[in-house]
Amino acid sequence: MATQAQTASTSPRSASKRIRQGGFFSQTLPFWLLLPMLLVIAAIQFYPGFYSIWLSFQERQGAVWNFVGLRNFERIFGSAAFRESIGHTAVFLVGYVVVTMAASLVIALLLNRKLKLSGVYISLIFIPWVIADVIAGLVFGLLVVPDYGLLSPILSNPALFPPNGLSIPSDPAPRPWISGFPFPPAPAMYYLILATAWRALPFVTLLILAALKTVPHEIIESARIDGASSFQALRFITLPLILPTLVVALFNLILGGMNGIGLVFTLTRGGPGTATEVLSFLLYTIGFGRLEFGRAAALSVFIAIINLTLIILTLRVSRTEERTA
Amino acid sequence: MQARLPSPQDYATRRRLRPWLTNGAMIAIVALLMLPIALTLSTSFKREQDVLRRPPVLLPCDGPDGQFRLSQCRFDIEGYERVIAPRPDVSSLLGFRLTGRMFSTYVPNTLLYALASSGLVFVMSGLAGYAFSRYRFRGRRALMVAILAITGIPLLTNLLALYQMAVDLRKAGIPGYDERMFIIAVYIGFQLPFSVWIVKGFFDTIPRELEEAAFIDGCTPIGALWRIVVPLAMPGLLAAFLLCFVNVWNEFIAGYLLITKRELRTVMFGMYDFLSQNIINYQVVAAACVLIAAPVVILFLLTRRTFFQAMTEGAVKG
Repeated sequence: MATQAQTASTSPRSASKRIRQGGFFSQTLPFWLLLPMLLVIAAIQFYPGFYSIWLSFQERQGAVWNFVGLRNFERIFGSAAFRESIGHTAVFLVGYVVVTMAASLVIALLLNRKLKLSGVYISLIFIPWVIADVIAGLVFGLLVVPDYGLLSPILSNPALFPPNGLSIPSDPAPRPWISGFPFPPAPAMYYLILATAWRALPFVTLLILAALKTVPHEIIESARIDGASSFQALRFITLPLILPTLVVALFNLILGGMNGIGLVFTLTRGGPGTATEVLSFLLYTIGFGRLEFGRAAALSVFIAIINLTLIILTLRVSRTEERTA
Repeated sequence: MQARLPSPQDYATRRRLRPWLTNGAMIAIVALLMLPIALTLSTSFKREQDVLRRPPVLLPCDGPDGQFRLSQCRFDIEGYERVIAPRPDVSSLLGFRLTGRMFSTYVPNTLLYALASSGLVFVMSGLAGYAFSRYRFRGRRALMVAILAITGIPLLTNLLALYQMAVDLRKAGIPGYDERMFIIAVYIGFQLPFSVWIVKGFFDTIPRELEEAAFIDGCTPIGALWRIVVPLAMPGLLAAFLLCFVNVWNEFIAGYLLITKRELRTVMFGMYDFLSQNIINYQVVAAACVLIAAPVVILFLLTRRTFFQAMTEGAVKG
């Protein structure tokens, strides 16, 4: 009796108590419950992860793989395509993150004003999030087909886009301001940023809206009574309070943007030329277009390191402690 | 110069005007965001000769004199017909067969993959979520953080290795092996971590006293999970199922690279394939976009509460 009372006091969970009382199966029950998940994750996440690292040190000659040390990394990092692609990815990510965050913040602030129709607005805004990236790419692509696309009369208007109007699928990038860095980008890049932001916007809006709902109304009101303008209240009270969410949203956006490929696939295919060849598409081109698996694996290890860094930063910022309780 | 302080009347006017301004702004934003969808819908119902007009027309409703008249609208379902390609067939149930590849091959395949992986995710995340929510064991915390971290790992960086694994598995000649098993496993592997996280969150909200009462009545832990926790946590489990279904339906690159047999490929491959085949038939591409996006959009609109609840409560990201 005494031991049981002790058990109960150290671990008040009745289920845990039962573990200790039962036979082998029920003693190890959590393990059996977790086993299916662990097996799948080991086979689909961990094994391929290590396989990729192994592949990145190999090169295929005929049917056999040869260990080549860091040669794949040297060749990928030394290639002009990689350097160029880093530039495209940087331009893409900055544009996409700024557009998405700014638009989401504005929409979330509007929705937070307790409108009668908020539910309708949120449902409609969320539709792009459910639409596949491949379909979004096709839809945006159809709009700008030269001559026939529904946006083409606007884009080809020389008054709006001097001197000759704009053709998104084919216009090359203007001369870069700094040689070697693709800025200003080609029109296709702006368009790719818009299309990607269109799909990412709903989720970020929902995140920010959820955070805004936790900001106590009283603080804002008392600041307003003390003479703060609504912009000052936003800048000095609301934004600092929702900063963790904004940072998590930022990391999420970068992670999604780095690894998204469906939209590039159907909207620009990296073109015109290589103007929208971001890292994810370069990975595809090297691995499956040119079948240079070793070098593509080296690139995927590089992207995976960035991903892991972003994930660890996200875990730091979001309150994991609380959530694993 | 002293700025004029707002009078009480100013505040009153502002308070009355504000909802109108906010609603106006929101309607403008929603309209802008819906524009690509609306234009695609309009394209999908056009006839070929109206799609190929220069300059393009928004709605094909102008008569020979160029005036807009509703009675002149030439809407057609030709695009849809060409996607579905129904052929009369006396032996089938409805009297016709869908012969377009999209609906004869890709949609059934994707339904199979999506339902199989969502169903298995439902079961596995229920079991694992229960373990995480109700038991305290060594390594639990580390494992949970690991699962949370995996949630963020995108498919892209594992693609090459998964491709090699698919090649190796095909060569290995395991009896009864089928590419479909591998792609379903891949989908489960990438959907499961987030689902476990959502489901665990929902399980946490269910009072333990309910199960304890069941234990006293002689119920086993699995019995309590099945009879008490699962029914109560249905919204969470359903959210995991739906999220997985939508994600698998929308997935492109894994289906494209890991499946070699054409007759086993997915809808998103079908969409991508359309791009190369119907480059002039924009109304067909638009109709295919509408037909393939509509099921998940409708599913989402019907179950949006479940979605939002899961995303704000169970989300990693918050």
